[in-house]
Amino acid sequence: MIDDIQRIRDEARNKLSSVDDLTELDRLRVQYLGKKGVVTTALKQLKDLTPEQRKEIGAVVNEARDELESRFEMKRLDIKRSDLEKELSRTEPLDVTLPGQYAVPAGSQHPVHRVIDEMVGILRKVGFSIATGPEIETEYYNFEALNTPDSHPARDVQDTFYVQSPVLLRSHTSPVQVRTMKAIDPPVQIVSFGRVYRADYDHTHTPMFHQMEGLLVDEDVSLADLKGVMHYLIRELFGKRAIRFRPSFFPFTEPSAEVDMQWNDGWLEIGGCGMVHPNVLEAAGYNPDRYMGFAFGMGIERIAMLKYGIDDLRSLFENDYRMLEQF
Amino acid sequence: MLLSLNWLKDYLSKQDIKINAKDLAEKLTMRGLAVERISSGTRGLDNVVVGTIEKIEKHPDADRLQVTRVRVSNEPNAESLQIVCGAKNIAEGDIVPVALVGAILPGDLKIKKSKIRGVESSGMLCSGRELEISEDSDGILKLPKHSTIGQPLARLLGSDDVLLEFDLTANRGDCLSVMGLAREICPILKTRLREPKPPRFKNSNHRTSSIVKVEVEDKDMCPRYVARVIDTLKVTESPDWIKQRLKTVGIRPINNIVDITNFVMLEYGQPLHAFDLRRIESGGIKIGRCDKTMEFELLSGERVLLEPGDILIKDGDRPIALAGIMGGANTQIEDDTTSILLESACFDSTQIRKTAKRLNLHTDSSKRFERGIDVEGVNRASERAASLLRDSFEANVYHPPTDTNPEPAKPRSFAVDMRDIRRITGLYNLSPEKATDLLDSIGVPTHKRSTNIFIVKPPSFRNDLEKSIDIVEEVARLIGYDTIPERYPFSTAPFDTYHDPIYEFERKARTLLAQLGLRETIQYSFTSEATLIKYGAHTENLIKLQNPISEEFKVMRPSLLPSLLETYLYNKNRRSEGQRLFEVARSYEKDESNTETGAKETLWAAGLLSGNTLQESWRKNGEKIDFYYGKGLVDILVRQLSTVYLAYENSRDSKLLHPHRSACLKLGLNTVGYVGEVHPYIREQILETHDSVVLFELNLDALRKYERKGVHFKMPSRFPAVDIDIALVCDKSLTSQALIETIKSEGSELLESARVFDIYEGENIPMGKKSVAFHLSFVSKDRTLEENEVTELRDKIVKGLESKYSAQLRA
Repeated sequence: MIDDIQRIRDEARNKLSSVDDLTELDRLRVQYLGKKGVVTTALKQLKDLTPEQRKEIGAVVNEARDELESRFEMKRLDIKRSDLEKELSRTEPLDVTLPGQYAVPAGSQHPVHRVIDEMVGILRKVGFSIATGPEIETEYYNFEALNTPDSHPARDVQDTFYVQSPVLLRSHTSPVQVRTMKAIDPPVQIVSFGRVYRADYDHTHTPMFHQMEGLLVDEDVSLADLKGVMHYLIRELFGKRAIRFRPSFFPFTEPSAEVDMQWNDGWLEIGGCGMVHPNVLEAAGYNPDRYMGFAFGMGIERIAMLKYGIDDLRSLFENDYRMLEQF
Repeated sequence: MLLSLNWLKDYLSKQDIKINAKDLAEKLTMRGLAVERISSGTRGLDNVVVGTIEKIEKHPDADRLQVTRVRVSNEPNAESLQIVCGAKNIAEGDIVPVALVGAILPGDLKIKKSKIRGVESSGMLCSGRELEISEDSDGILKLPKHSTIGQPLARLLGSDDVLLEFDLTANRGDCLSVMGLAREICPILKTRLREPKPPRFKNSNHRTSSIVKVEVEDKDMCPRYVARVIDTLKVTESPDWIKQRLKTVGIRPINNIVDITNFVMLEYGQPLHAFDLRRIESGGIKIGRCDKTMEFELLSGERVLLEPGDILIKDGDRPIALAGIMGGANTQIEDDTTSILLESACFDSTQIRKTAKRLNLHTDSSKRFERGIDVEGVNRASERAASLLRDSFEANVYHPPTDTNPEPAKPRSFAVDMRDIRRITGLYNLSPEKATDLLDSIGVPTHKRSTNIFIVKPPSFRNDLEKSIDIVEEVARLIGYDTIPERYPFSTAPFDTYHDPIYEFERKARTLLAQLGLRETIQYSFTSEATLIKYGAHTENLIKLQNPISEEFKVMRPSLLPSLLETYLYNKNRRSEGQRLFEVARSYEKDESNTETGAKETLWAAGLLSGNTLQESWRKNGEKIDFYYGKGLVDILVRQLSTVYLAYENSRDSKLLHPHRSACLKLGLNTVGYVGEVHPYIREQILETHDSVVLFELNLDALRKYERKGVHFKMPSRFPAVDIDIALVCDKSLTSQALIETIKSEGSELLESARVFDIYEGENIPMGKKSVAFHLSFVSKDRTLEENEVTELRDKIVKGLESKYSAQLRA
């Protein structure tokens, strides 16, 4: 009987391989696996055997049935697929070069904010917290507390927008440093950024622009640390490149430096920095004999222009859609 | 400040020293004296070369012009330049000066490639006057026939000088002089300073004081005034060497008296002024502050308004000079002047700066006083000028002069701790000897007090050295910032010392809006009142600038929306359709409760949507954007940013938004935002568009108080939900929200959600009524709901709506 089963199975396998439509497949299926099919009949005959035989032969029959069932199912799917393929081959493919369409069009953030977010991210990694402050400021925070008294040559009234003295539009983000130092005890390690205003309008100046500043005040901070942080920041922003510190002068830092970075074949000024002037620490209520710190500042627009290859500063605030779409 | 290297050499002990200008410039820059440009000694001659005219043709379209071909290179195959020229005095074969493209001629004339009446011209043939090398302006300058073609004109003229142009910082007034720069340069070139020998004067029979009394009314404003009478003078030309020096640095020689005062100012940094002695009528001068507003004519011919506080030199009550800035026309040197009163003085820098700024009168003199001059050098400069006049012109110098403060107080000396220098610079191995040597090299004397402490006696010309930190900076810059190592700070500040989370909130809003398909813009914070009125924004409590850059930028904007509409217009005119714009920024208004600035700044997220709901495409474009589309966006924004519920109410009071197609967002009683279609008047009359334009703004400061910080997870029920639909007929004016609130309160906690899926008016619905269809979903947390339970709830809801709003179940 086992031989019979094997024979039936082989026969069904053979027949199955040459079937290519569903009607024929159904017919075969009934012939073998239907209620009166060959395999089903063989299963029914099992009950006439001795228990030992039933066990031995039963296993073979069941295995054959399982195998055939799965072969029939596979064949059915094969035929379905090839029928569908035939149908598809009669239709035209899409023009895949037409523009795609999605319910929500692409949006974007302004290049200036992209740079701010990037710089904040870089500085946060090394422990800087964020501080903010008002844009409408007072002479005290914008100048006096920053060692720029009325008598100071660096105090250029013509450059500063006034609401009504002593209220003005901040000309740099440094007032935030003073406000923060007054609010918390040292050590501090903050970054601040935002809109600043100066009465200047030509192809390299807009009356409003953005700055970012960092401040670190602690007991053991030196120019060497400042150099390390500036180099780190520039490397993160523009990739590996040399920097140099050039002595300069700002009322609120001493010693002060301009930072140049290597750009093409020369040097390009990228920011100003220095050791916080003792008078600034004192104005903030910090003991300058115990604490020292560094501060640095950069123009965001300049960095955005370098990063994205924008050559006209003013185009950053024209909000031309064709420009915005590129970010 | 322009420094001529030939002039510089006059003050170096090694006069024949060879100077590599580029190298020197680099070293000075790295010492904090930034050299902006190195140029050839004859100003305006860079990129001017010797050329020969090969061909001259008439200009096809202009009778007065000629088209020349000029060869500017000795290379055999070099191409000649085509240059259009207006002068008549040229002939083929002439050797002439040619300003190449890129040259900047005196008077800041930039030579560019251009088209002149349609003919391309790559340069300019120059006259002597255009190059400021002769007064002759009759046509193009002819150069000697044998001149080498292509060589720089400066070389041909024998000018081997090199100029360094400095961009000096505000603290280094001392370097606004050849002597000051020489002092810094000596250690770089390893040579020593050689000052001109102090001149000797015989005491004269008459003293200045017997002719002119000098009275300083306000010592703070004028710490020192040296007056000296010089007579038997004749106004004439200066010696060639002085004229040459002045011309090289761009100062036009005028006459011997003016030239010599200018020369000494450039030499020592001490501005001088000469009054015509004949014109001093009262027999004396007074130096004091102006006490009333009055008009005054300067020697430039300009009339200025003097104001109380300005420092004046007065002859009696009559002003004769605006101290430190410019002399008056009433006492200026004339051709027949024979005796002068020479002023060398020190004035208060703050007041000079204020006056110069107010009058926008920045002179070589005011620039130096503003930064502070050497009070000890006042008499030295006077003597130098007097000796030059005496030696070259046999003028009679009155000696001694009147000096109001012959021995000014020495600058205070102070102690410097080496340990400070080390810890601030990070140069931990720096020795005191090295530091003091460096200081000594630029004329800052020190003496040692103990191992780590030395005393600095700042010289009077370095009035910027006042305390220890100034010396730290000097040492750091002299040793070179490049010797300072790089280190990474170790801070003891906890990571979360100070954190203003508004940035995170703001960034979340920006990111969300960009993700929702809007383009971020940045608009100026200032605008004009006219723009605000144009767009129906309110104009109360505006913050106005006193000194705006223009009327367009005069007021701080009280809302972000007008600028967004301006941007919409800007782009619409460039045919950008379907704009989706946003900005996250502050608005400004007066707020008396802020005692510090009287201003309030509020952070907003604002946006503009126009065009269709779908991106314009080859397939379908969706529908016109309308109120509901904007509201949908605002809903997402509010939900993602905060946990607060905002109610929408019709907003009829806006001149900017459509009276029926807009809403204000209420947080309790406060309005925290708007969304709506732009008012048809503004759309039609100002935006001139058929496009529907939707605006929104959301007060982020208000929303931030309810910032969404996390997620409160609610386990979804494991049991199936039962969904039913009901349609109700109710008054047309009833809001869907009112109905839903009743549905929710009647529906018990089993009602999981209720939403409107259809609104219908018209056939089968009575006038003044509408049909609203709701989809309700019921579910229980702990069991499968029975059908009759849901039916009971539904009846309860319908009954509730009926009794509250007389709503009827639609048949």
